[in-house]
Amino acid sequence: MKILILGGSGHIGGRLFRMLDAVPGLDVWRASRRAGNAAERSVQVDTLDADGLRRVLADVGCVVNCVAGNATAISAGAKTLAAAALHTGSRVVHLSTMSVYGGAQGVVREDTAFDPSLGWYARAKVEAEAAMADLVRQGGQAVVLRPGCVAGPGSQLWVGRIGRWLQAGRLGDIGAAGDGWSNLVHVDDVCRAVEAALRMPLAAGQLPAYNLAAPDGPRWSEYFVDLGVAIGATPVRRLSARRVRLDAKVLGPPLKIAEKLAMKLGLPTAALPDAMPPALVRFFEQQILLDGHAAENGLGLRWTPYRKTLEDGADWFAGQTARR
Amino acid sequence: MIVEAASIEAGSCLKVDVCIVGSGAAGISMALALSGRGLSVLLLESGRMEHHDPTQALYAGSVADEKLHSPPDKYRHRRFGGATAIWGGRCMPFDPIDFEAREYIPHSGWPIAYEDLAPFYPEANRLAEAGPFEYSADAAFGPGKPMIQGFHSDRVRTDGIERFSCPTNFAARYRERLQQAPDVTVLMGANCTGIRLQADGSRVRAVDVATLEGHRFTVAAQDTVLAVGGLETARLLLASRDVAPAGIGNEHDVVGRYYMCHIAGNVGKLTVKGPTSNVRHGYEVSPEGIYCRRRISLSEAEQRRLGVANMVARLHFPRITDPAHRSGVLSGLFMARRLISYEYSKRLKDGAPPTASVYARHLWNIVTGPVDTLGFLWHWVRRRTLAQRKFPSVILRNKSNQFSLEMHGEQIPQPDSRVTLTDDCDALGMPRIRVDWRYSPADIDAVRKTLDVLVEEFARSGLATFEYDGAALEHDLTRFGAYGGHHCGTARMGTDPHTSVVDADCRVHSVANLYVAGSAVFPTSSQANPTLTLIAVSLRLAEHLVERARARNAAVQEMSGAVAA
Repeated sequence: MKILILGGSGHIGGRLFRMLDAVPGLDVWRASRRAGNAAERSVQVDTLDADGLRRVLADVGCVVNCVAGNATAISAGAKTLAAAALHTGSRVVHLSTMSVYGGAQGVVREDTAFDPSLGWYARAKVEAEAAMADLVRQGGQAVVLRPGCVAGPGSQLWVGRIGRWLQAGRLGDIGAAGDGWSNLVHVDDVCRAVEAALRMPLAAGQLPAYNLAAPDGPRWSEYFVDLGVAIGATPVRRLSARRVRLDAKVLGPPLKIAEKLAMKLGLPTAALPDAMPPALVRFFEQQILLDGHAAENGLGLRWTPYRKTLEDGADWFAGQTARR
Repeated sequence: MIVEAASIEAGSCLKVDVCIVGSGAAGISMALALSGRGLSVLLLESGRMEHHDPTQALYAGSVADEKLHSPPDKYRHRRFGGATAIWGGRCMPFDPIDFEAREYIPHSGWPIAYEDLAPFYPEANRLAEAGPFEYSADAAFGPGKPMIQGFHSDRVRTDGIERFSCPTNFAARYRERLQQAPDVTVLMGANCTGIRLQADGSRVRAVDVATLEGHRFTVAAQDTVLAVGGLETARLLLASRDVAPAGIGNEHDVVGRYYMCHIAGNVGKLTVKGPTSNVRHGYEVSPEGIYCRRRISLSEAEQRRLGVANMVARLHFPRITDPAHRSGVLSGLFMARRLISYEYSKRLKDGAPPTASVYARHLWNIVTGPVDTLGFLWHWVRRRTLAQRKFPSVILRNKSNQFSLEMHGEQIPQPDSRVTLTDDCDALGMPRIRVDWRYSPADIDAVRKTLDVLVEEFARSGLATFEYDGAALEHDLTRFGAYGGHHCGTARMGTDPHTSVVDADCRVHSVANLYVAGSAVFPTSSQANPTLTLIAVSLRLAEHLVERARARNAAVQEMSGAVAA
């Protein structure tokens, strides 16, 4: 079967490409905006170009949607993809996010109502899921995966920048302000979920959706202490919520502007401290617990234990720091 | 969720699976552990989010000897989170020997062993935010960093540590979790004014609840748990006497007896030879950011050989009130004692009122040591006042390698040390308590024998000398009376109803569905501060209640199956 990964050079897409590539019987390709290279099994695709996408999907059995980017790339991209896949009969494995549940608190199962009110990202992801629902309604095939916070090797979001904040003393044990569940999931678990979703039998009109989060994930404050110890950012500091909020509020905007300027000027943004988004600081106290049981049953997933996710992330972080 | 008791319909009866009376360290830990386990949990809190004078006044009572015990409304805080609002945060588990019946400690022996509690300690540590459950210095800080360089002894252990909570205020830390828990309801302003048994006394029928404004209702639970602290547990059990005339669980006159705190005080002078860098006397920070401190204790074998109670010693500074210490920092503390809360200023107010000459000498210490005093103040403001994780206590720079030993020890349980009810009543009509805390000569003698071992072992090592004034020992250990806040033993755990109130599951012997959580159930008090262990005991009880509910449901299902068949 021919598989195409959209967003195949990103964190999850890249790792998925290497993993699926090792599976016998799969012909795995990845799409990106850059020029394609048949030897490396990459094709050039603009995910907003309906005709181009339809051509590329012509012989693709299953397309995995790992596209990141702005609201248009996510939302309009998903609509274009759905239309193309309906035409070619390709199955779509769509990587959604827990963000579709918005500000929900408590135990969240797949049938929990969407809440797109928390910002552009959640709105775009909700719209993308709607596109998948349309696809299935019209007779196409799709599976939706909703990962929590994807950690482990390569995770800039949940290992890289958090590790750097810990090293800089800008983050630490934040007590009750970090009492929300981290809903961590190892990137390899996400990849295995995709592999299972490629193969699972689908009845007509069925749109399975699965939360992806390991059941033994800690709360954020605990994760920050564990990661700090694991990467040697010790002793881990206890910080007040006020201080972290102030960091986000005061340092956030100038850092974000500096980052955009640096990108425009072609300067290395890695040299800049990471801005701490205020929404992220609020997210750390959101008591949302993603229930991943359905993925265990429906996809046969066995979760990577938290300790292993933590260690893999810390090892990757150490390698990154060494390279810097 | 968290709601006001006033919002409950007057005269109604709430039906729940588990009713926990009291939301201090024990009650909150239990509620958190029970959440998500398929049970409906009601947590009754008398107070508010903050201190509230009329509520706190419900704790007032009397003591037999003011020199030996603080008034009952001190060290206790009748508010959401209980005394975690003011606790010092010192955490360490009980030792395996604490659970044993030791023939040299009368009335000793728990019906459970250390191993029964061990599975619950790591979670207790986590709730207290004291880092990993690791209490040996080598494991926490790596080998080769002893308390006193070169000191080795088979009789004396120096590799133990204690860890410090933030100190975590359980109300602030876990409020949102409880607010979010769909299966837990916290009722604020809900005072339990009595436990009502059914006519044959074998089960709790309901607990009475009243607000200070006179709103009354009842709660009928499958299981009821008293998590109200060592003093209030006795008060509630003894005051509920409509069916059991002597009070609930008091058929054999045990409730309120065997009341224990800790024997504590600063004694002697330890002089370590060599450079000051040879001694680790202060706080060290673990990788997780937790303050830890070394402690000295006798090995279990040595305790058995000598027949002495369990205790620890920490390296400490001289007595603060005596200006002879020449420390500007300590004199500064002495001068500021009126600004410090009752619980923490007790040790700054010992003996006769200070004379003008004492004041002058303290002032002189401050004036002549300005760098030290200012340095200390800077550190204190930065690391304690403004810090989220508080520097636990005053530590002086070691300039002389001279220390006193701060002792903290188990006291031998005795039935005459007790809490009783008086005829005086509080605003809700509940009888007030009278505390008659007692210690025995054997308690002092145990410290003496332990100190003698330290004298011998330090001398034998050639690295240090220790001396103490045996004649002043009792005075030094009782100068401040019972060590504040550590109220244990008033509803002790045991197998024999003649000498205990609750069984190994913390259930009141004579009542099928009434439990006690917290330090009231401790048959002996250990060397350790009680909080960590009372949390562990509460978590164990929570697990027991979950299993009980499961068995109950299975029985119901079996019965309905049989009926259907």
